[in-house]
Amino acid sequence: MSQSGTITAPAAAGGTRPGVRWGSLAMLVLRSVFLVALFGIALASPGFLSTANLMAMMTSAAFVGCVAIGMTLITVGGNIMSFSLGATVSATTLVFVGALLAWGILPAILVSLLFGMLVALAQGLVIGWFGANPIVVSIAAFALIIGIAPWSTAGTSLFLPAGAGQEVLRGKLLGLPIEFILLIGLAVLGQFLLSFTVFGRNLLMVGSSRWAAEAAGIRAWRTVAGSYLWAGLFAAVAGMLLASRYSKGNMDYGATFDYDAITAVIVGGTAIQGGRGSILRTMIGVLVIEVTRVVLLLNGFRQEWQYLISGVIILSVILLQTTVARK
Amino acid sequence: MPLLHLLSPYRRPAAVFAAVLVLLLILDGGRGDLLGSSLLFSLFQMFGTVGPVALGVGLTMLIGEFDLSVAGMVGMAGCIAVMTGGDNPWLGLLIAVGIGLAAGVLQGWLMTRLKLSSIGVTLGGLLIFFGISYALTESRSIEYPNLDVADVLGRKLVGFLSIPSLVAVGLYVVVALVFGMTKLGRDLIAVGSDRRAAVSAGVPANALVIATFGFSGALAALCGTLLGYSLASAAPTGLANVLVPATTAAILGGVSLAGGTGRPGGIALGALTICLLQAGLNALGMSSYAHEILVGLVMLTIAILDGSRFSIRIDELRLSLRRS
Repeated sequence: MSQSGTITAPAAAGGTRPGVRWGSLAMLVLRSVFLVALFGIALASPGFLSTANLMAMMTSAAFVGCVAIGMTLITVGGNIMSFSLGATVSATTLVFVGALLAWGILPAILVSLLFGMLVALAQGLVIGWFGANPIVVSIAAFALIIGIAPWSTAGTSLFLPAGAGQEVLRGKLLGLPIEFILLIGLAVLGQFLLSFTVFGRNLLMVGSSRWAAEAAGIRAWRTVAGSYLWAGLFAAVAGMLLASRYSKGNMDYGATFDYDAITAVIVGGTAIQGGRGSILRTMIGVLVIEVTRVVLLLNGFRQEWQYLISGVIILSVILLQTTVARK
Repeated sequence: MPLLHLLSPYRRPAAVFAAVLVLLLILDGGRGDLLGSSLLFSLFQMFGTVGPVALGVGLTMLIGEFDLSVAGMVGMAGCIAVMTGGDNPWLGLLIAVGIGLAAGVLQGWLMTRLKLSSIGVTLGGLLIFFGISYALTESRSIEYPNLDVADVLGRKLVGFLSIPSLVAVGLYVVVALVFGMTKLGRDLIAVGSDRRAAVSAGVPANALVIATFGFSGALAALCGTLLGYSLASAAPTGLANVLVPATTAAILGGVSLAGGTGRPGGIALGALTICLLQAGLNALGMSSYAHEILVGLVMLTIAILDGSRFSIRIDELRLSLRRS
């Protein structure tokens, strides 16, 4: 859409000019100061280090984190963002509960993963093959998902009785929430995909210049579709974890995940115009979001302030990134 | 290819409007539920809220940008107007629209000054406006005590038009006239088609971008205010309520996602199409899910037809068919 004039060239990526190197150094310093300050406030907040709080943080970081991994892949591929991943998460909670009640846990996991992948792959194909606008496609998919999912299950929520098999996906392993361990696994998988596979290399190339990538013989539409396929898979995992944790499928569960995941991606420093980014840095973004949320709660602010803070953080990161990189 | 020709940006709005009307008539099946007396009124009541936002978003798309922040602005402006306009509705309106205008101008200024993408900046704006409205209302919906205003806004004034729909229609007429008869329209199209060429031709591109975002913010705020007043309450809005219909209306109205095409008249038709679909399905007693599904399908179809590689893919397909 606005590829023409306003998006700044990703010139800062290479870092060959000395000015640019100073720019990224300044950015690094700013980031570190921000992180240190945030964690300072967090440690000073009463109850932050309590086991209950840390466990709760890890669990909720896992839900947003899974979505954010997929969002990173989509963004790195040059498609800015998706507004349908949250709805995919919500719909997956319904699919998971429905399949679990009908067929048991293993088929339910398979069906849920397949559902998420298909929903996202369809969007990826439309975007990659036809060159359709990613934002409009994701808004259309959002409308389709929130229309079809509750209609097909005749309601916006489904309950899971205790002992249906969802216990496998919650609880603890080695003293940590299973959700969190899964998140670490998926983050490592995502970073591996991006750094060590042909797919990842192609995705970074397509993201920085689709035209150049195609000139080099990469079938860009396949790469783009692949990034959506993976994003759908990760979103489906988030959906299953949510449904298991709350023993319920609900169309509201994923409502805020798009914003949270986008915030995590941008705070982590993945370039909004694509071609640059890393999952591990997105995980730092997720951590920042979670810590901010908990710090606000522990200090008596209502959760609603989270949006405001996220918006301010996003805007300042975007502003800082471009101004510092240009100096 | 006659079909594609028909769907070209300039004829699309009328064609889609007719198609939706035919679809609804088929669904009605001659029972006559659809064309009851209240259809036109409820259609235009919806147009009163969807129309202005669609115009703002459509104009930002026309200049090759995108204003995501309207989704947050509508809710925030509604809350502000309802909270400040208890005694004097005009004061609430003035404050809300003023804030909308200022927020839009600020976002446009950031974009042009720092050469940032509108997506990034308005995403930040969207979250900030969301945050402010959630913080103001603490997630509750707040009541508007002045029920007379709601009564006035919901009353038929001229035929099937009420104050909100008259305002929306008036806005479109004024914008369409200014767009068609002054240099402004041409300049906006130039900015959307090729910003660099427009600047070298002497078009004040940056000023136009700032003005368009200011206009979009003010329109979203106006919509939020009218919505808050006529429902006699305000609450933070979700993505589905604002951004989906507004974007769909603009795209149906022939605004190309690449910028440079589309006219205010087309956006008006697009918004009317969306409202016809919603009002028609309501009149037929269909569930709201059906509306979401149809809107999603329509948007997806048009996104594909508008895709930068669509014609290449069709040519490839035709070639491979001929070979086999």
